[in-house]
Amino acid sequence: MARLEAKKPSVCENEPLTSGRVRSMLSVLKRIVTSCYGPSGRLKQLHNSVGGHVCTTSQSSALLRSLLVTHPILKILTASMQNHVSCVSDCGLFMAILCCNLIENVQEIDLTPTTVIELNKLLLSLCTNYLKSEVCGCRIPVDFSSTQILLCLVRSILTSKPACMLTRKEVDHISALVLRAFLLTIPEKAKDYVILGKTIIVPLKDQRVMDSTVLPGMLIEMSEVQLMRMLPMKKSSALKVALFCVSLSGDFSDTGEGTLVVSYGVDLESAVLDQLLNLGWQLVRDQIDIVMCQKVIHPSLKQFLSTHRVIAIDRVGVALMEPLSKMTGTQPIGSLSSISPSSYGSVKDLCTAKFGSKRFFHLIPHEVTVSSLLLCNRSDTTWDELKLTCQTALHVLQLTIKEPFVFLGGGCTETHLAAYIRHKTLNEPGSILKGNECTQTALRLIAEAFCSALESLAGSLEHDGGEILTDMKYGHFWSVQSDCPPLVNWPDLLSRCGCGLHSSQEELSWSFLRSTRHPFVPQNCLPHEAATSANNLTLDCFTAKLSGLQVAVETANLILDLAYVIEDKN
Amino acid sequence: MAAAGSVKAALQVAEVLESIVSKCLGPEGRQVLCTKPTGEVLVSRDGGRLLEALHLEHPIARMVVACVSSHLNKTGDGAKTFIIYFCHLLRGLHAVTDKEKDSLISENIQTHGRHWKNCCQWKFISQALLTFQTQILDSFIAQCLSKHFLSIFSSSTKERTLCRSSLELLSEAYFCGRVAKNNHKFISQLLCDYLFKCVTYKSEIEEVFELLDDCFVELNIGVAGLPVSDSRIIAGLVLQRDFSVYCPADGDIQTVIVTETIQPLFSASASEFVFNSEAQFQASQFWIMERTKAIMKSLQNQNIKLLLSSVKQPDLVIYYAKLGGISVVECLSSEEVSLIERIVGLSPFVLPQICSQHDICNTTLVKFCKPLILKSKRYVHLELISPCLFLPHCIVLCGPVQGLVEQHKDALHGAFKMLRQLFKDLDLSYMAQANNQNYTSTPPIYKNNRENHLLKEIGNDSIQRPYQGTVVKNKDELATFQKHLVVYSHLEIPNVELETYSPCSTPKLTSADTYQTDDIMTYLSQNKARKIDDHEPFIESKVIANSTTENTKLEMSDENVQVTKDVGRRNVLPVRCKSLESYRSSSIPAGCVLPVGGNFELLLHYYLLNYAKKCQQSEETAVSMIIANALLGIPKVLHMNKKGNDSFPRIYVRMLHALQTSQPMVSTHTGLESVAGKYQLLTSVLQCLAKILTIDHVISIKRQPQRVYDQDSEDDL
Repeated sequence: MARLEAKKPSVCENEPLTSGRVRSMLSVLKRIVTSCYGPSGRLKQLHNSVGGHVCTTSQSSALLRSLLVTHPILKILTASMQNHVSCVSDCGLFMAILCCNLIENVQEIDLTPTTVIELNKLLLSLCTNYLKSEVCGCRIPVDFSSTQILLCLVRSILTSKPACMLTRKEVDHISALVLRAFLLTIPEKAKDYVILGKTIIVPLKDQRVMDSTVLPGMLIEMSEVQLMRMLPMKKSSALKVALFCVSLSGDFSDTGEGTLVVSYGVDLESAVLDQLLNLGWQLVRDQIDIVMCQKVIHPSLKQFLSTHRVIAIDRVGVALMEPLSKMTGTQPIGSLSSISPSSYGSVKDLCTAKFGSKRFFHLIPHEVTVSSLLLCNRSDTTWDELKLTCQTALHVLQLTIKEPFVFLGGGCTETHLAAYIRHKTLNEPGSILKGNECTQTALRLIAEAFCSALESLAGSLEHDGGEILTDMKYGHFWSVQSDCPPLVNWPDLLSRCGCGLHSSQEELSWSFLRSTRHPFVPQNCLPHEAATSANNLTLDCFTAKLSGLQVAVETANLILDLAYVIEDKN
Repeated sequence: MAAAGSVKAALQVAEVLESIVSKCLGPEGRQVLCTKPTGEVLVSRDGGRLLEALHLEHPIARMVVACVSSHLNKTGDGAKTFIIYFCHLLRGLHAVTDKEKDSLISENIQTHGRHWKNCCQWKFISQALLTFQTQILDSFIAQCLSKHFLSIFSSSTKERTLCRSSLELLSEAYFCGRVAKNNHKFISQLLCDYLFKCVTYKSEIEEVFELLDDCFVELNIGVAGLPVSDSRIIAGLVLQRDFSVYCPADGDIQTVIVTETIQPLFSASASEFVFNSEAQFQASQFWIMERTKAIMKSLQNQNIKLLLSSVKQPDLVIYYAKLGGISVVECLSSEEVSLIERIVGLSPFVLPQICSQHDICNTTLVKFCKPLILKSKRYVHLELISPCLFLPHCIVLCGPVQGLVEQHKDALHGAFKMLRQLFKDLDLSYMAQANNQNYTSTPPIYKNNRENHLLKEIGNDSIQRPYQGTVVKNKDELATFQKHLVVYSHLEIPNVELETYSPCSTPKLTSADTYQTDDIMTYLSQNKARKIDDHEPFIESKVIANSTTENTKLEMSDENVQVTKDVGRRNVLPVRCKSLESYRSSSIPAGCVLPVGGNFELLLHYYLLNYAKKCQQSEETAVSMIIANALLGIPKVLHMNKKGNDSFPRIYVRMLHALQTSQPMVSTHTGLESVAGKYQLLTSVLQCLAKILTIDHVISIKRQPQRVYDQDSEDDL
C-alpha cells in the first residue's frame, strides 16, 4: 500500500523582483552569461566535486545543461534560453543577456509593470518591423551564387566559441569543411520543394584539427574481425544493398501474452537457424553484395554470407537507419522470408578508409545528399565543444536557406538598432503610441532602458577593459584599447567596426557608447557593394537573432509581470 | 462561540486568499509563477490553479478551494471572482454580528443581528442564504436583469448565428483575466479565428463547443522556445506522432483505424501454445507471415493508403505496409482515436476472421496526410473530410517557456468551456427547489408573501413569452376536475404522455398537493427550456365545469423526467386561457451577455436593494442587503487604480442614476461576459458559504475520515 503523506503547504513570495535575494541571483546569472559572450569571452569549467566529466565551455547550451538553478524566476529565464537554443541553436547568450539587461534597467524606473510591459511590447514590434523591412540597415541579403557570405557566417560562429581552441588557420579549415558538408546535403535535382539530406558528424579524437575532413556518403565504423574478413571487391558496377530493420540474430520476440510450451526434443534454435540460412540463400540468389542490419546478425549467418562474398554490417543503430535507407534507396526489411525485390537498393561503391587508428566502411551513393564530417580534435572537452559548434553552424546554414538574410555581427546590429529606436521614439512618439494610453514620458524612459540594454549587450563583447565607441553615421560598434591617450585622432586608433563593414578612414565621427548623445538617423550603408568588397565580415544568423530578440523581450515581460511566486515544497 | 468563531476564521482565510487573488484579477491583473514538486515552472493567472498550487492547510481554506474547483469544473471561469465575493459576503456577515456588539448602528440591522444571536444558529443564516439563492435570486435574474441582457447572436436573424464582433468582445474580456496583458489580444484573436475556421455554419454550434471542450488537448500543440507571436492555426488535425511509414500519395486517401496488431501472435493471453516439432514451428511462423501478408494485401486492394493504429505494429506489418504504399501511424492515444471517430464517424476496423475479399466498410477519406515539422519534432498532419459541422483545425501555441504555453492552453480550454456554457440555456428551476426541506423550516406564510410580491413584479416585467406550447387540453367536457400526469423526457418534444385521468368528484386535495398546485408549469419544446409560471391561486371551490385549463407541474429534478400534473379547470373558450395566465421566462436563454466591468454586479446590487426596501421579512432584508453589498466588491477591485471619471464611486452613482431614470447604462469597458457564468458563480458562492456557516467545530483527526456524504451538499442546483 502506498504511504500517504500530508502535503506541505507551498511558499508564496510577494513581488519577487523587489527582493534583494532575487536581484542578486539575477545579477550573478547575468555576470555568468555576460562573461561568456563573444570571441573573447571567458571560459567556464563545469565539474562536480566527485571527479566526473569536466566540461570547458562558453556556449549557452552546454553551460545551462549542467547548471542547476533553484529559484523559479531563474528557472524561467534559463528554460526560456534552453528552449530558444533548441529551436534555433544560436544566439542563446544574446537572448539571456538581453533579458537580464532589460529586467535590470527597468527596475530603476518608477512605472507600473503593466505600463512597462506594454511599452516593451511596442518597442519590440518597432524593432521587428524595422529588422524585417527592406530599409533595415543592419541586415544583408545572402547571395547564394558565391560562398562568401555563408563562409563568413560559419567563421563568425566558430570564432565566437573560444572554447573550441582553434587557431585562425584551423577556423578557416573547419568553416570550409562545415560549409562543404552542408552543401553536399542539398539534392542536385531540385523539385518544387527541397528536402535537405543529413550531415553525420563522425568523432575522431586524438588527431589534429587540420586532419578533419568531409566525405560524401556515409562512414560506418568497422571492427577488426570485419577487416580480416574483408576481401577485395570484384564488381565495378553498382553494389546491391539489403537493409534489415528486423533482428537477424534468431531471437524470437512478440510471442503474444500466452505461454509457449516446447516439447522435449524439439530444437527451436536449429529451426530458427534453418530459417536464417534460407534467408541467406535467398540473399545470395538475389545477388546482394552488402547486407546491413540495424540490430544483430547471427554469427552463422555472417559466416555464411562472407563465404559467399557478401559483406555483412550489423549493429548499425536506429539513428543511421533513415539516412541509410534514403541514401541507398532501400526499404528497411522487416521480414525473414519472402523479401520483395523492390526493397533492395544500391550504392555506387564501397571502400574502406583509415583515419587515425580507426577503419571505416565508406558507402558512396549515386546521388549525394548525405555527407560525413570527420571531426578531429585532441582533447575530449574541446572535441565536444567543437562538435556542438559545428552542429550549430549546420543548423544556422539551414535556417539561412529558409530566410536568406544575415545580420551584421560584432555588436553592430545592436548599436544600430538602439540608435534607430532612440531616433524613432524621440521624433515620432505619437505614431508609436497610437491607440495606447501610455504617456510620452513613459515611452521615453522605457525606450532609454531598452536601448541601453541593447548597447550594454553589445558592450559585453568587450572583456579586456577596452572602450566602446559608436559612430554617428551608421551607428556601428567600434572598440578601442583601454589605455588610449585622452586626446587622440580616432581614425588612427580604430581600424574597422565590429562587423568589419566600415573602416575608420571613412570620415566618421565617434562618441562613447555610454555617454549621452544626440539621437541621429542611422544610415543604411549600401550593403551589396560593401559586402562583396569586404571579405572578412562578422555575421549573425537572421532567424536566430530575430527570434532571440523576441524571446528575450517576451521573457523579460513575463518575469516583470510576476506578482507572486508560489513554490511547491513537496 | 465556536460558531461565531467559524465566521471569523473563515473571514481571515478568505482575506488572505483575496489579497493574493485580487492582484491577478481583471485586465490589470498580474501573473503568478508556480513551481510543481517535479521542478516544472508554471505561469498562471488562473485562480483555480493558483489556489491549488498553494496547498493550503487550513481546513476551511481547503473547503473553499474544493468548492472553487468544483465550480470551475462546471463553468471554467470565475475562481478569482468567487474568492472576492466570498470574502465580501463573510465580511458583511461579520460586520452585522460585530455591529451588534458595538450597538452603534441603525436599529434595523441591529435587531436582525440580535435576532440571529438569539437564535444562535448560523445554520439558520445558512438556510436563509440557500433559500435566497434557490428562490429569490433566480426570479431576480429572470425578471429584473433580463431586460438588460444582450445577446451574443446576430440580431438580424432569428436563428442563432454567431456574431464575430460580439464573440471578439466576449473572448477578449475573458482572456483579459486569464493571460498576460501583452498577449490577451493576440490569443483572443487566435480563438476567434479558430472558431470561425472550425465551424461550417454559423448556427447550431453547441455541439462544436462540446467537442472542443472535450477534445481540446488533441487539438493543440505546444512549442516552447519560439515567440508567442509565432502561434498559428493549421487546417486539419495534427497527431502528436511521427509516421512509421510515410508513402506520399496524391488525392483523397482511404484510411482505416486499427486497435490491435495486424500480425497474429503465437498465443493469446491465458492460452498455451505447444510446439511438438520443428516443422510445426516453422509452419506456424509461415502461416503468421502469410496471414499478415494477406491482410495487408487486402488493405492494399481496397486502396487503403493510411493506417492509423492505436498499438505498435510489428516490423513485418510495417514492411508490408511500406511495400504496399500504405502510410502507417502507430501508438495513437485512445483520445486521438476517439476524436477521429467522433469527427468522421469512423469505427475501428476489425480484423476479418477469414481472409476474404470483402470490402472493408470502415474506411474514411482523408484529404491529405503529410509530416509536419515543428521545432525539429515531426508530427502527422491530416486533413479529414468531416461530414459534421466541425472542420478540424489545430492550434500551434508558441511561447518562450513551456509554462507560458501551458497557460495559453489552459486559457483557451477554459474559454471553450465558458462558451459551451454560454450556448446552453440555463434553467432556473427555483420553484422545484422550493419543495425541498427548506420549505418546512420556513413558515408557509413567508412563501406566499414572496409569491405575491413576485406577482407584482411580473406586472412590470417586459419579457413575457407568448405561450406557444402544447397545453394539454382536456377534451372531456363532462369531468369537473381532472388530473393529468404527463411524463416526458427532458429536452424533447413532449412525446410520451402518460395521462391518468382521475376524475375527482370530491374536490379533495392533500396538503402535499396544495403548495404544488400554484406552482410552476414547465413547458419544454425543442431544446429551449422555459418554465412558465402560473399564478392563479388554486381555489377548490372554483372547480366547476367550463373553466380554464390550468397546468401545474411537479418537477422531479434528480432524473431527467418531469412529471407534469395538470390540474384542469375548463373553459368554453380555450383560447382565452392565454389572457388569463401570466407567464414568466424562467431560464437564461443561450448567448446572454452583459458588458464587463462589474455590470452584472451593479445591476443585481441595485435590484436587490430595491427588493430589500420592499421586503417584509427581516431575514430576507438582511440577506439581500449583505449580498447586495458584497456584490460591489468586484467593481471596486476592478476600478481600484482608476482615477477621475472611472473611479468606482462615480461609476456607481452614474449607474444608479441611469437605472432610476431608466436610461441605457453606459459602460466604460468594451468587453462582454456571460450572464449564465456570473449567475452560476453567485449560486456556487452562496452554496459554499452556506456550507461553511453550518460548521461550528473543526476537529482534527489523525486518520483519514470515512467517506460519508455530507448532509449539506445535497442541494443539487
